[in-house]
Amino acid sequence: MVRYELVGDLRSYLRSRIYGAVDDWVRSTALRFGYRDYMIARYLEALGSREEVLNLLKAFEEPLKPSIRCNTLKVRSCGLLAERLGELGYVLKGISWEPTSFTIEVLGKPPPGATHEFLLGMYYLYRGAASLIPPLVLLPKPSDVVLDMAAAPGGKTTHMAQLMRNEGLIVAVDISKARMRALRSNLERLGVRNVLALRLDGARVPELFGPYFSKVLLDAPCTAEGLVQVDKSRKTRTALDDLFAARERQVRLLLAAVDSVVSGGYVLYATCSIAPEEDELVISEVLKLRDDISVVPLPDIVDFRSGLTEYFGIKLPDELRLCGRLYPHIHCMEGFFLCLLRKE
Amino acid sequence: MPAEKRVRGAAGGIKCVLAGDEVLKLVEYLFGPDARSVVESLGTVLVCSGEFSEVYLVSNLMADAIATLFKRGYVPYSAGLYAGRLRRLRPKFIPSVSLLQVIYDSVGPRRAIGVSEEGLKPFLYGNDILRKSVTKCYEPVSKGEVIGILGSDGYVYGVGLSNVDSCSKLSKLGDLDEVAKNVFDIGWYLRGGTEPRERKYKVE
Repeated sequence: MVRYELVGDLRSYLRSRIYGAVDDWVRSTALRFGYRDYMIARYLEALGSREEVLNLLKAFEEPLKPSIRCNTLKVRSCGLLAERLGELGYVLKGISWEPTSFTIEVLGKPPPGATHEFLLGMYYLYRGAASLIPPLVLLPKPSDVVLDMAAAPGGKTTHMAQLMRNEGLIVAVDISKARMRALRSNLERLGVRNVLALRLDGARVPELFGPYFSKVLLDAPCTAEGLVQVDKSRKTRTALDDLFAARERQVRLLLAAVDSVVSGGYVLYATCSIAPEEDELVISEVLKLRDDISVVPLPDIVDFRSGLTEYFGIKLPDELRLCGRLYPHIHCMEGFFLCLLRKE
Repeated sequence: MPAEKRVRGAAGGIKCVLAGDEVLKLVEYLFGPDARSVVESLGTVLVCSGEFSEVYLVSNLMADAIATLFKRGYVPYSAGLYAGRLRRLRPKFIPSVSLLQVIYDSVGPRRAIGVSEEGLKPFLYGNDILRKSVTKCYEPVSKGEVIGILGSDGYVYGVGLSNVDSCSKLSKLGDLDEVAKNVFDIGWYLRGGTEPRERKYKVE
């Protein structure tokens, strides 16, 4: 076992170890489920048993139930919203850990993105429930000044605005022109008033504001390896080199997030990916480069699987066990990673 | 009288200014002094002009952040409550659905018509409002001026241009006569809200 800080060329090291772990079982399993070989080898390393890898792959074949968050900025009674949707044939089930949200058990008509209630901004529609968790972890208060670094299309931004009761300030940043349109549309539709939207590379935020924010959400652009349920192309789209390119961008953004937060403030790093390269290995790099941050425990929202502290013979910092992983076969939602950092 | 000090910024062909006398006067003209007070209580007016002049209402905290952006040569993509669009010609101000909802919730509906469920469906596809769909009318109403489109649930479904001078004129119209031309409806969030294929407001 080699300590993370001592690994010289991480990309070459991991390439060699990952491809070295591709055996007959990995190849046949990848062929059976339609994945790249290297992905299965990584799942086996991260999960520890063939049985659990098969459970994960089977869960990825199941459809993901969409979820909705009742927008209390516009709706006085979420029960009334549920009744209105019930009249359209929808069957909703409350989410125990998010009192304003529901999974859609049975779809009604019209589709959930076309009802009058949707157009009126009474709810936000999610592909799966995991996206509801990051705002609950960061839990911004009305007095907070929050940075949302890759904000569009705005599910988490508008959720945080709801938690802040439209008070305080959220600076929502995204680089994509098309996605900014979606963000603005959602802000307007949902009646959000406390968001300042900026089209900008999130890495440039410290140049504009310096350390200004009490809380920062970096829901980092990623390969979305946790979203196979809604996009089967994820099984084959990402080459190992693509993962490392994504990781470089993620490290750059996370360093900017740390620069943007005030002393004593919090940064939540999240991805909709279960790839350790985009998750624990990003946190490890930033912990190596900065001595003013530490990982802190996640609140007890769901029973998170602990972050990895070992990966292909690399010993990662112990504090990474405080990060959280979500898996479809365990948590019945999309794959996700969260890690809460506090700046000293 | 000393000139008002205005905070300004410009970038990428967009000019922004934190000042809203003109907007507040238009709100008062359209919806009354109590509506103006409601709008003033929401914060500072930000006007950003490029192809269109868009109006936002921002808190003091946000205004400070915007002033910082201006100093660095940036302008926001959007900020606070989107309040509507300023125009040179009448109607000089098209209020957003969000602003209308805030005004109606605070001081009651005015310059508005209530529309039946049957009338809302075609309206949400971009069509105009016909007499047979109108269930209520709230003065003042002026021909060629903006009018809020309300559902029976009290929510604002869009903004129109009135084709009548007062609510009393409605009784003289036939079922298929146009009462309000569609300027903006919330169906836009589905049709064009995320893509530039629709120009949002249907007035030149």
